[in-house]
Amino acid sequence: MRSSRVGWLLLAPTIIILIMVGLVPFLYILVVGFFDWNAFAANPTPQFAGVENYRRLVFDPAFLKSISLTLQFTFYAVGSELILGYLLAQLLMRDFPFKGLFRTIHTLPLLVAPIAVGATWRLLCIPGLGPVPYYLERWFDIQYRIGASVDQAFWTTVVMDIWHWTPLVTLTMLAGLSSLPKEPLEQAQVDGANKYQLFWYIILPMLKPVILTTVFIRLMDALRTVDEVWMLTGGGPGTATRYIGLHIWRVVFPKTDYGYGAAMSLLTLYLTLVLCWLLYVAMVQQRTGSIGNGGSK
Amino acid sequence: MNLRGQIWLGCLATPLVLAGSAGAQDFWSEAAQPYEGVTIRGVSESTPPSNYVKDVLAPQFEEATGIAVEFEVTSWDQMYDKAIKDMEAGTGIYDFVYIEQDIIYSYLARDFLVDITAALDETPDLKAPNFDTDAFTSFIDYFKDPETGDVYGVPMEAFVKVYLYRTDLFEDADNQAAFSEQYGYDLAPATTFEQYRDIAEFFTDYGETNDLELWGTTVQASSGHPASFYELFESIMPSFGVYNWGVNMDNWAASVENGGTMNSDEAKAALEFWVGLLEFAPPEATSSTWDEVAASFAAGRAAQGWVYGENAAWIATDPERSSIVGNVGVTLPPTAEGVMDAAAAGEGYIGYYDGGAFGIPHSSKNQEAALLWLEYIGQPEVQADWAVAGARIVMDSTYDDPKVQAQNEKVDGYYTLMREDGPLFAGAPPFPFHSQLREAVAPFVYQAIIGELSPSDALDQGAAAAEAELTQLGYRKG
Repeated sequence: MRSSRVGWLLLAPTIIILIMVGLVPFLYILVVGFFDWNAFAANPTPQFAGVENYRRLVFDPAFLKSISLTLQFTFYAVGSELILGYLLAQLLMRDFPFKGLFRTIHTLPLLVAPIAVGATWRLLCIPGLGPVPYYLERWFDIQYRIGASVDQAFWTTVVMDIWHWTPLVTLTMLAGLSSLPKEPLEQAQVDGANKYQLFWYIILPMLKPVILTTVFIRLMDALRTVDEVWMLTGGGPGTATRYIGLHIWRVVFPKTDYGYGAAMSLLTLYLTLVLCWLLYVAMVQQRTGSIGNGGSK
Repeated sequence: MNLRGQIWLGCLATPLVLAGSAGAQDFWSEAAQPYEGVTIRGVSESTPPSNYVKDVLAPQFEEATGIAVEFEVTSWDQMYDKAIKDMEAGTGIYDFVYIEQDIIYSYLARDFLVDITAALDETPDLKAPNFDTDAFTSFIDYFKDPETGDVYGVPMEAFVKVYLYRTDLFEDADNQAAFSEQYGYDLAPATTFEQYRDIAEFFTDYGETNDLELWGTTVQASSGHPASFYELFESIMPSFGVYNWGVNMDNWAASVENGGTMNSDEAKAALEFWVGLLEFAPPEATSSTWDEVAASFAAGRAAQGWVYGENAAWIATDPERSSIVGNVGVTLPPTAEGVMDAAAAGEGYIGYYDGGAFGIPHSSKNQEAALLWLEYIGQPEVQADWAVAGARIVMDSTYDDPKVQAQNEKVDGYYTLMREDGPLFAGAPPFPFHSQLREAVAPFVYQAIIGELSPSDALDQGAAAAEAELTQLGYRKG
């Protein structure tokens, strides 16, 4: 009993902080989402609006487009990071000259703040001044204009995200690969499995929890991307890279539409939770499946 | 006056100036005594005038008063974010904030700001002997309550968005001959939009033919930043005769069918002209805000352009930042027929008279110290050096200062233009919903820039979005 009290006492500061910075703002946003509240409206005081903000969201093409763009961005960025991260992790499992140097350089983007990443990429990519458009035009005769081409801007944000976050995926994959038991791989090799069979039937199933955890983390990050993209394209050209985080920022701050922005935030949070929940279920099923398989042997 | 006369006058004047200066010095130290050791905090956009405040005026004020000034200069977006959040929540982080001319109406509507006139009346001990609101140009009127005439912001910068052009290119005999042959009239700064387009086309071809990094015009056409909205609605549209962003000030309508002009034929012609200039603009144009436009022009990458006046001085005079020093011409922008006459008659305007002031939020915890600071930056004595550093003038007397006059000659008479033709320009319309309306319409401008929407469709949809937003905000009925 005494140890339980001491335990709660020790946990109290953490719990209080979590409530203050997590639960209270969440409840506040939940309440604000039911109000029509714009600081610069004719009536700037909050007016109860029921579910009107949520009804507007369903028919708001800008919001729906932003969600769609975000999902596309997340799919391409996280998918590419996963594949590249795995390949690089496999590379780092082997010995080669300057491996330590390569690993250090490869990990460096992780240390850079997202806003600085955005600024760096802007300097690299800004037409007329950056080296990327200059050399693309000079060497390949490619007109690279992130301020004018919707596709180029979209794919540049994807590549920037891949550049920034692939090292994280590499590190988690490397940790996963390093911890894999050697026996199943050796047994499979003795049984004559080729590289494809080794990957598909042995490595991938054993690595699945690591992969899912990594996707889980990256998915949440990618869905809330704001600062890098804001710095690089400002959400343009047009609304081509106005991902949901950026869209919410524009609604809440420059437009000061607090009620609508709060509703948008909640709906986005719900979407993120659903996606993460699906992954979580898949992960738990995988673990249960593994235990079940083990028992049947 | 002969040399002897000048020496005598100098001998007489020096003690008077020193006595005045010493008197003013006494005032600052005495008035600030109760606040010695206090730190006041402010926020502004990083511009040449604001940087001068941070680097020169703030340390001077601290030395004179013992009141420290922590002045944060940041990006335009961040400045608004921080200031509005602070005033909205009443946290009192900032003791003074930058108030751009276009946002003052929103701040007044929300009662964010301290009435400076009333504050000085209530605390006469804090009234500096050399601070006089009547000494400012008429720009200060933007920061007055229209009903009471009380001042809510002390102007710290003001400039007009002018037409800059490269004198070396325009005055070159070969260029003049070639232009004359190609277009059938003399090469000179454009007074019509047709001429402007011809010149843009000519110098773009010239750059291409001679393998130069030179294009015909700058365009502030960032396709994801409000800077493009501002160039279109505050510089280009007025010169086509579309005022107040095309919004009817009586019923807050934007569309033609409801009495607005946002999607009028003139407005559509303005957008078509402006978007058409992208063909003759440097490749960075669709990523350019006001800063990049100035940088492109200073780098010699454009022959002409609409450029904010705050940049005129450094582009024309600072060889460390500009490659076209000594080759900058300044003049009025082109206008549609009848617009110049309407502006001269006070029935319209030809472009944007921009600027800002410092005001004190009600939430400030050091209002008296901030009041002293605002008076300090509002003294005539600090204006001339500030003008030379930041190409900004807020007082009539500053125009006559020898330092400003000397710089005026190097900037092709920019200050003379501002003084004489300033009344032809105007600030943003008095909307209490400035940012909200801009955010509603800007995406359609961005889409027109990248060709996703035609100019006509962009403005039709923009006008509809504007009316929907104003209805949602409760200003527009029906």
